[in-house]
Amino acid sequence: MTTSALTRPGQRDRLIMKVPEIDWRLAFGLICIAGVGAMMLYSAGGQSWQPWAASHLIRFGICFVLMLVLSLIDIRIWFVMSYPTYGIALLLLLAVPIIGHQSLGARRWLQAGPISVQPSEIMKIGLVLALARFYHGLSAKDAQLSWKLLIPAALIAAPTLLVAKQPDLGTAILVAATGLTLMVLAGLSWRILAAGTLATVVAAPAFILFLMKGYQRDRVLTFLHPEQDPSGTGYHILQAKIALGSGGLLGKGFGLGTQSSLNYLPEKHTDFIFATFAEEFGFVGCAALLLLYGLTIAVALRIAAISHSHFGRLSAAGVTATFALYVMINAAMVMGLAPVVGVPMPLMSYGGTVMVTVMVGFGLVEAVRVHRYSEISSGTGSLLF
Amino acid sequence: MEPSIFFDEVNERQGVFHRRTFLFGGAIGLGSLALVGRLMQLQVFEAQAYQKLSANNSIRFRLVPPPRGAILDRNGVEIASNRPDFLIMVRKEEIDDPETTIASVAQLLPLAPNRQKQILRQLEITPSAIPVSIATDLTWTEFARVTARLPELPGVTADMGESRVYPFGGAFAHVVGYVSKISQPDLDRAKKASPSGQIDPLLLHPGFRIGKQGVEYALDAELRGKPGGQKIKVDSVGRVVTEDPAGDVRATPGKDVVLTLDADVQNRALEVFGAEAGAAVAMDVHTGDILCLVSTPSFDPNRFVSGVASAEYQALHDFDHQPLLNKALSGLYHPGSTFKTMVALAALEMGFDPKRTYTCHGTWQFGNHVFKCDHHHGTLDLHAAIAASCDVYFYQASLIVGPDRMADMGRRFGLGQKFDIGIPGQKAGIVPDTAWKKRYFQSDPANQKWFAGETPSMGIGQGATVVNALQLCTMAARIANGSHAVSPRLIQSIGGVERPPSAPAVPLNINPEHIQFIQAAMTSVANDPGGTAVKSSQLGLGALRMAGKTGTAQDHAYNGSHGAHGAVGAWAMRDNAWFVCYAPADAPRYALSVLVEHGGFGADTAAPRAREIMKVALLKDPDIRQRIERPLQDPPKADDAQTQTPASLTKSADPSGPDTAEAHP
Repeated sequence: MTTSALTRPGQRDRLIMKVPEIDWRLAFGLICIAGVGAMMLYSAGGQSWQPWAASHLIRFGICFVLMLVLSLIDIRIWFVMSYPTYGIALLLLLAVPIIGHQSLGARRWLQAGPISVQPSEIMKIGLVLALARFYHGLSAKDAQLSWKLLIPAALIAAPTLLVAKQPDLGTAILVAATGLTLMVLAGLSWRILAAGTLATVVAAPAFILFLMKGYQRDRVLTFLHPEQDPSGTGYHILQAKIALGSGGLLGKGFGLGTQSSLNYLPEKHTDFIFATFAEEFGFVGCAALLLLYGLTIAVALRIAAISHSHFGRLSAAGVTATFALYVMINAAMVMGLAPVVGVPMPLMSYGGTVMVTVMVGFGLVEAVRVHRYSEISSGTGSLLF
Repeated sequence: MEPSIFFDEVNERQGVFHRRTFLFGGAIGLGSLALVGRLMQLQVFEAQAYQKLSANNSIRFRLVPPPRGAILDRNGVEIASNRPDFLIMVRKEEIDDPETTIASVAQLLPLAPNRQKQILRQLEITPSAIPVSIATDLTWTEFARVTARLPELPGVTADMGESRVYPFGGAFAHVVGYVSKISQPDLDRAKKASPSGQIDPLLLHPGFRIGKQGVEYALDAELRGKPGGQKIKVDSVGRVVTEDPAGDVRATPGKDVVLTLDADVQNRALEVFGAEAGAAVAMDVHTGDILCLVSTPSFDPNRFVSGVASAEYQALHDFDHQPLLNKALSGLYHPGSTFKTMVALAALEMGFDPKRTYTCHGTWQFGNHVFKCDHHHGTLDLHAAIAASCDVYFYQASLIVGPDRMADMGRRFGLGQKFDIGIPGQKAGIVPDTAWKKRYFQSDPANQKWFAGETPSMGIGQGATVVNALQLCTMAARIANGSHAVSPRLIQSIGGVERPPSAPAVPLNINPEHIQFIQAAMTSVANDPGGTAVKSSQLGLGALRMAGKTGTAQDHAYNGSHGAHGAVGAWAMRDNAWFVCYAPADAPRYALSVLVEHGGFGADTAAPRAREIMKVALLKDPDIRQRIERPLQDPPKADDAQTQTPASLTKSADPSGPDTAEAHP
């Protein structure tokens, strides 16, 4: 790799030189995870490619190609596009309450002909790009503690509040947590972080009791006492725990999970697919799957660490943080350690929107990797503007 | 290393990022460890508990009704048994739209719109796990037509169940009773009786039938059995996913009940009654085993199994011959002259001289009342008075004996008693004495005294005395037995376990000579020229003879002074005809009581029927059969009776000794 660092300027910009620079370990990790997902969807669909497994694989294939294409886009183009992307995402989010499509009591979708768009998903990438773009031009001192930090705080707060209002608590938490993680990675003062954490702990009960919607509050309270409502909201948690626990050490075997195949497990193919997997492959399988996710995250973080540009580092780390938070929150939720907030297991859960978001994100990570030696002048982008 | 880094400031940013990214990675690692720890807790340490919960989730047992125990006669003939029944059921938990499902079934089976509505209503109120019956008792063609379409009708099951059948129709209806659909009061009672307050799900099964009367009612718990389970795996909405025949729990069939009855005797008894109303009870004089317990007219219990139409039930209920009443146990009648055996025995036991004579001129004046007798019997001793059933003799003898001694003797021979034969609906009747009058007229002191005029009435089995056919049969059996007070037994065994008689046969403590005197007098009734029942009591079975006593009990006050006794006038105004008997007279084996309600004279209507019933009982007994058949091998010894067999039930044109009693004031 060091040799490529010494190639002549302009040489690296040739596509043929870029393809070998794609991190194939990361790509392989993603393929493995999506493969496990397809396998579980095959099982959950009653040992059938229909209705989920086949379309899951097709979507992943398309998204994988998209990721490869995105990874060849010059990092400076990403850089230049970051504020516009954020801006467009914010405008779409603002449009959702006005012209959005309502389903299941929440307005989350925008319909444009045959294509329906979930602006909150675009925002996940947009926020990461915008924050990375902002910190790229910020000194270490300012990143630690200064009035300028009000800008990233506002960048985070605006979409978080808009998404929470839809209401989509899971995504709001994810957006906020990703932004906060990026601020910390950029060098936020520990004191601010500690104060913020303290404030959150104090404010949380009041938030739960007074600001949450009824069903959201139910979910949180049921999480604390699932046995009080075994057939209602507590049913998800209880049945997921039964699925996990009855899997035992080695699992019931592929396709033999009764909790999922007999439909005791709700959302067995989406948010609770980890429980489906746990029932059939047991503790050993779960530990191996978490390890696979962990290795993928580690590879992605390593890509962030070796980037020469601050924008590259932060954007790759931001995407990785989003992915890691998805995995942690979903696993904790399925295991009964967190409230049921509707966060899918990335690349395993059935559903196209999240997969597109994740794979576009990893396209960015790969682009950072491919263009790790590119320099970006701070301030305005030099390429287009 | 990196050519792009020229400023400390940039280096510091990168350093902070590296340190923080490392910490972030560590935090993710720690989080993962926590998740793995949680997984270990759930999947390793608590796995067993969750595996149990998982199994409970999906494994169910579908109720399999047990076959109901059969009811057999003493020879193993089935009186109540089960036949296969094709039925179509539907389970609410397995259907999405009941109306469409029922409508589809209605295209295959004739289901009236009303019936369809009824099924839908039933589906609404039935717990979802319990199937609802759409149609029962289908023909094979109908059943096959639905079975072929089952894949298109989710939630509908075609089943071969069992249905109760009574092969003899009405012959055993009152003893054996019947089963029918469970009613709400039945369910309430079951709920109250259950220790957990939960209704046995078997009771809610559409094929289940509960015993409503007789043996079916009394021994319902024994006959019912225990339901089995068909192991099935269900999904979260209860749809059956797989069946697991290896895990099925077999139903425990109900216990078979063997009765002491003999189907041939019982059937013959029903047959000889024809259209008459009445009752007949036959008993083994040594064991008390009841051979037949018949009440006529009867009804077909098979009509009640799947639910009798209310019009049909009303017709049975309103018929003045009372087919729904078990007259053998619940019907109370004056014993009439059959009670004279008790009066005579009480007299002998108190030292009454049997040679003592009274003269009968057809009437007897007591105080200012004239008691009547049917004939001018002339001068009679006790033996002749029994044989000819002279009322005048017994009016006067009873005054010597007194009510308390007569009542006491009656009770010792089973009158006025309930016997624990294992089925409900028995009435004790009344055997009055001075103590009874005090008790009965507690609130009416003027009537508490025993009036002298009541004694002659009681002496001929009238007055307040009322008994049932079972009691009179027991009386005959005890007379025939002579030494022990046998008690009736109806249930021979339950599930192979022998049941004791209703009471141990305690010694009678009667002077054997006195018993023999009564037996001889009863033999005269049926065989001697002066006997009341001589013409209708000839068995025609060689040397075998019957002994008996007729009774013609007045049931209503006659209009005016002219006696409308016997079979005269409107049916409901006629006398009740009795005949109690036993046979063979020389070595008693079977006792029998026959009541023909409003039949007129006992000798005319009750005795011929008793003879026919008794013949079957005797012919079925191997020991007695031997006695009958042996003389045939020796023609010179053949009895005259062989040739003059009374083949049919002809009414005697000239009753030689009817006995009636005039009403007391």
